[in-house]
Amino acid sequence: MTKYVTKRILMAVLTLFVITFVLFVLIRIMPGDPFPVERMSAEMILQKREELGLNKPILIQFIDYLSMLANGSFGNGTSLYNGAPIKPILLKCLENSFKIGLISILFGTIVGLLIGIVAALNRGKFLDGLCTVVSILGVCIPSYVFMIFLQYFFSYKIPFFPYFFDASNFLHSAIMPALSLSLLAISIIARFTRNEMVEVMNSDYVKLAEAKGVYGWQLIRKHILRNALIPIVTVIAPLVVDLLTGAMVIEKIYGINGVGKLMVDAISGQGVDYNYVLALGIVFSAMYIGAMLILDILYGIIDPRIRLSAKDG
Amino acid sequence: MKKIFAIMLIALTAIFTGCGGDNAGGDNKKLSVMLGSNVVSLDSAQATDLVSFEVIADCIDGLMQLDSKGKAIFALAEKVDVAEDGKTFTFHLRDAKWSNGDDVTAEDFVFAWRRHCQSANEYAYIFGDTVACIKNADAVIKKEMTPENLGVTATDSKTLVVELNAPVPFFLSLMAFPTFYPINEKFYNSLENGSYGTSPETFLSNGAFMLAEYLPGTANIQLKKNDSYWNAAQVSLDGFQYQVVSSSDNALTSFKNGTLNLVSIGGNQVQHVQSDAELSKNLQIHPTALLQYLSFNQDAKNHHGGALANKNLRLAISNVIDRESLVNNFVANGSLATYTAVPINFAPNFETGKFFAEDQKQFADVVSFDVEKARTFFETAKVEIGKTNFDLNIIYANDSGDTVVKVAQAIKSQVEENLPGVTITLQPMPKAEYLSNITSNNYDLALTNWAPDYNDPMSFFTLWTTEGCEISEHWSNADYDKIISDCTTGALAYDYNARWAAMYDAEKILLDNAVIAPLYTNASANLISSNVTGIEFHSVALERVFKNAKVQ
Repeated sequence: MTKYVTKRILMAVLTLFVITFVLFVLIRIMPGDPFPVERMSAEMILQKREELGLNKPILIQFIDYLSMLANGSFGNGTSLYNGAPIKPILLKCLENSFKIGLISILFGTIVGLLIGIVAALNRGKFLDGLCTVVSILGVCIPSYVFMIFLQYFFSYKIPFFPYFFDASNFLHSAIMPALSLSLLAISIIARFTRNEMVEVMNSDYVKLAEAKGVYGWQLIRKHILRNALIPIVTVIAPLVVDLLTGAMVIEKIYGINGVGKLMVDAISGQGVDYNYVLALGIVFSAMYIGAMLILDILYGIIDPRIRLSAKDG
Repeated sequence: MKKIFAIMLIALTAIFTGCGGDNAGGDNKKLSVMLGSNVVSLDSAQATDLVSFEVIADCIDGLMQLDSKGKAIFALAEKVDVAEDGKTFTFHLRDAKWSNGDDVTAEDFVFAWRRHCQSANEYAYIFGDTVACIKNADAVIKKEMTPENLGVTATDSKTLVVELNAPVPFFLSLMAFPTFYPINEKFYNSLENGSYGTSPETFLSNGAFMLAEYLPGTANIQLKKNDSYWNAAQVSLDGFQYQVVSSSDNALTSFKNGTLNLVSIGGNQVQHVQSDAELSKNLQIHPTALLQYLSFNQDAKNHHGGALANKNLRLAISNVIDRESLVNNFVANGSLATYTAVPINFAPNFETGKFFAEDQKQFADVVSFDVEKARTFFETAKVEIGKTNFDLNIIYANDSGDTVVKVAQAIKSQVEENLPGVTITLQPMPKAEYLSNITSNNYDLALTNWAPDYNDPMSFFTLWTTEGCEISEHWSNADYDKIISDCTTGALAYDYNARWAAMYDAEKILLDNAVIAPLYTNASANLISSNVTGIEFHSVALERVFKNAKVQ
């Protein structure tokens, strides 16, 4: 087991390294300078490129960047937030996106599981159909459309929530974006829960349990849900990272200072903000890779059979 | 399992009960203002955009400021002595304080200016010979001299002496531009490298307002009144907030529900607002000096065979565009059709007060809407080039709203309809890629614009010199270059009226050769709550000034 985990961690580090390299090269070969050039003469532009080390070979630049990363710095911003250190800005934005993401995960998981359970217990009946419609709608409607809808009705027509995000009133203004974000999680989790539960409910061991006289909540919890949970956790893990890494469009239209907005601004800002795009890319990748690692370990906790088979392997 | 559910439920309840139901509409006394994009930097040596300049000017005063009419009046300077030859300015500073209690001194200016030239960032150009003409500025920017050689000295803590290479008639109004604002040297040096201006703690004000809440890239900026401001008695607002709103639909709804008191809207919304009797009372159209124009790539080696090196082809395209139709049907925000290389409502003559481009008909023989004439130019061009079909592309940056997209489509249809044989391909792209295509000469026509930094026609004319900015049109004309250098550092710099007349000669060369096809002077359409007064709008540099704003 230890050997297996070590191997997984090494693989994760290698993956992150490759991603960093690809991101770095892709961003460097993008057209445009990372600083505003409109008022500069050709000579000035060359001078600035030299000053920022942009005329060195890409590999040398990459090694420079790695040594900066090793020192715990993401390099300094070169255009969008000119010269400002990246780390504090990144941390602040991550914090905002995390908080909103967390609310939507909690809400999405609970509501999704409940809808899925209700649908599975009523399979083939009206409630099942209703739940299916709801979850299909949730997958089809992009979260930002739902957000615009909420914004229109609950802050414009009925001004209950603030029209723009207000950091001094965090929870009150976080509800609309968190609700919109949780829509996708609700739908996906509900659908998976329903399908997995239906499958488990038809299995022999559940029938046996029923025959033994186990019924009601105990049957659902101990026999059905526990076995149905593995595939559901597999879906939840990437969803969690998705929600934590912010929602670009929602953060942009609602004015939330999160990582999604930061990414959009860095990409579309004046000049190409090399270092922010890179830093965010690395952080996002690290989070996905981390989530996949945790997932492997979670499998073992939920289903002891996986632990055993890992030992065998 | 039960425990997990219980924890999740408790967490969720805690989160939802934690939120009160306080009023979202905001109270009416507070001023909330829309910003069209993020602040790039509050460091005057790094700022390159109108939004950053505006916020810097809310918080920091320079030597001069603009009055409500755009005329330069004293700010931190209370007196200025100008040498007879116009090349030395001695500013005497008033008693003013930074928000940490330090005195504002002449050294603060020297520090900021030297630092800016040394950084050689985009706006360092404004210290050089094409604009402010400050002695040795170009050499410091090119790192040929140390910053100590820059022509600015503090003879004592309240006296600042600036030496110029040539007289600059608009020098005093230039001093109202944020690039020339001071920075407290001691405070700056006490900060971690690169952190100046990244939070309320790392930024000092000497102006009307100070930062209450700010983070680089933030969508929401809170300012509060600076009680130690030298003119604090005149400031009526206790503070105000900026909200970055990227879509103009969102801007309109947030104005309608009272969240924001001042928003800018686009052409679509202007029509909607004008049809609404109540809302139209809040609409104000303000002129800007942003000129939208087509730039022709004249390089014979560009990727479509360099047909635009032919003057008559350029003239044909310029004369086939119906500019009135562009501004009325596509831009639709009060912008003005323009037939000169300098925008309307810009650069008044100091003696007559008349705007430089007041006479829009003076170049009508080469810039007009006249399909017959355009076709004559086109026939000549076909003979001269020896081709009858031309495939041209128009590149433009599409990340600043949909107006430019509509204008590009209109130009394409007007040109293709009236000049049979010309086919235009539209190529929208992000701004960075657009600029890179321009500098690498990879385009035929560019739909572009220029917002001047100072209120003088030279703000435009220096664009098209051979040595000018990297983004101009690969065109070179010795006569034109000579007039411009005479007007900036040569003999004409000493004679205001001769310089003024010479600039018309330069403009004639430019338009006779159809180096650009001017299209329109942009206007900004704003909605302002009726209880808000005193916001000053300018067409150049600082578009909005809030220090005299009042909320009833």
